[in-house]
Amino acid sequence: MLGAVGVATGAALLGVSTVQAQKATTVRIGYFPNLTHAPALVALERGEFAKAFGKVTLQTKDFVSGTQLSEAFAAGTIDIGYIGPGPAINAVAKGLPVQIIAGASNAGAVLIARKGVNIATFKDLAGKKVGVPSLGNTQDISLRHILKEQGLKSQVDGGNVSIIPVAPADVAAAFSSKSLDAALVPEPWGALLESQGNKLVLDEKAIWRGGNYPSAVVIVNTQFAADNPQLVQAFVKAHLNAVNFILKNTPAAQAAISAQLLKLTGQKVNALVLQRALARTRITADIDMDALKEYADLNREAGYAREIPDLSKAVNLTYLNAARAGK
Amino acid sequence: MNYRLKVVLIQLGGLLALLGLWWFFTDVRPIWPKYVLPDPGAVWTEMKFGLFGKSPDGKLTMSILNSLRRVAIGFLIAVGSGLVVGVILSVSKPLRDVVSGYLTAVQSVPSIAFVPLAILFFGLNERAVLAVVILEGFIPVALSVAGALGNVPPALRTAGRTLGAKGIGLVTRVMLPASLPNLVGGLRTAWSFSWRALIGAELLTTNPGLGQLLEIGRNTANVALVFTTIITVGVVGALFDVLIRSLESRIRYNYGLEGES
Repeated sequence: MLGAVGVATGAALLGVSTVQAQKATTVRIGYFPNLTHAPALVALERGEFAKAFGKVTLQTKDFVSGTQLSEAFAAGTIDIGYIGPGPAINAVAKGLPVQIIAGASNAGAVLIARKGVNIATFKDLAGKKVGVPSLGNTQDISLRHILKEQGLKSQVDGGNVSIIPVAPADVAAAFSSKSLDAALVPEPWGALLESQGNKLVLDEKAIWRGGNYPSAVVIVNTQFAADNPQLVQAFVKAHLNAVNFILKNTPAAQAAISAQLLKLTGQKVNALVLQRALARTRITADIDMDALKEYADLNREAGYAREIPDLSKAVNLTYLNAARAGK
Repeated sequence: MNYRLKVVLIQLGGLLALLGLWWFFTDVRPIWPKYVLPDPGAVWTEMKFGLFGKSPDGKLTMSILNSLRRVAIGFLIAVGSGLVVGVILSVSKPLRDVVSGYLTAVQSVPSIAFVPLAILFFGLNERAVLAVVILEGFIPVALSVAGALGNVPPALRTAGRTLGAKGIGLVTRVMLPASLPNLVGGLRTAWSFSWRALIGAELLTTNPGLGQLLEIGRNTANVALVFTTIITVGVVGALFDVLIRSLESRIRYNYGLEGES
């Protein structure tokens, strides 16, 4: 399968026309163990993807950050992925063959200060060590924007705030060894850290745009989509079902999320913590193009890109609209 | 034609051929997509912005300076401590035999393996990076000092003693100058070890520098930046090697070990 795709892309690049499309026998889905990826967690736990794909095998892989996931896309080892808008936009800008086909969630990230560290506002981040899931990821871009608005700068840009990449599930350990003073983390890690006595400095609304910003979207490999449109359609349908299920049926959705998080990270998130975290995350399949454009701006502002990609080509809502029309 | 000029010309020709191949397989007949193998133009643009662009684009110059500052501090401390330990080891052969075994063992561990430990001991900061750089640079200096001092011809030692040198004076006035040509080789090894250790440690920690720039390129799907950083690391490393090498041949010439070339 992998070899076939490799040969096909190689042949296509060399200008040799491929006779027929490569029908996939496996769909490889990537996602992270975060609440912002809740539709993936729920759909997987409830077997919705496997059901939708029928005879085609489902393979899943969990990632710590979108930057790793976009590497997997570049290497051609993932077909569909849940990813933050930051890495998604970077991937598009650098010419990776991916398109955004649906939203997954908005907001759902908070700034938490370590117990005993005096951080009341963003201004107090001066001279502190702040964790983000990874450099160039969505939270990192948000944090750099916040710093800029406060007249602060990261160490790399000649300022005094160290921005340190730490997997959200490891922030608690980094706090206890005092390697970090604060962290901008996606949920449920924010609520979990809060329940351990650390302090919420700013909630999801204060981060940016009153909480009306995408924090996870779904991207697909365009070659895979061209070759297997019905599989992508089936995926989007299952994704939409999961989104609706979370929006309607909170306790069962919570149980499914909790079970997946335990499987992926070995951490059992308490029901109350999960509830609080879910309240800060807005699950939605919609894509707010304005917010996405602003993200592209922030991404450039953070120095991660010098140009803003053509987002109209980067987003393809045909599958989502078809799924909504009941096709 | 003079030999050295010939070498440089052949090297230049090789570089041009390499660039030509690179251009051919990215622009004319691309084998890999651009997000896997960027074309020379993209890397050149990235390099230009990195060197001359304003922040936040122009991170390359600052990263080079930061890395050089860090390696300079680390290398100097490594040379100083390596010299002391090397002299101590040279005093007794049994001591040298025991300890150099350990040092060789530590040296065979890739420097990047020490980074997690350094972070635990010193925290996620510059000191952790320096610790790894010093550890890597110190061992080749210590071993080469011990070896070089051990290889000083006994006649020189006797002559020194006869002329009244003893103790530390014998080491600093006779032994060290006598072993200088051998020592410079150790310095070169130490430099290359330190430089490699630095980039590895920067990759895993968060201090601004070339290693960190590599990580940013990786994290933002900017493979042109990854290439730019790798090329820069190689060029800076090679420039310093040339510098130390010319110092080495100067010293060897002064000691009559090498004819003027």
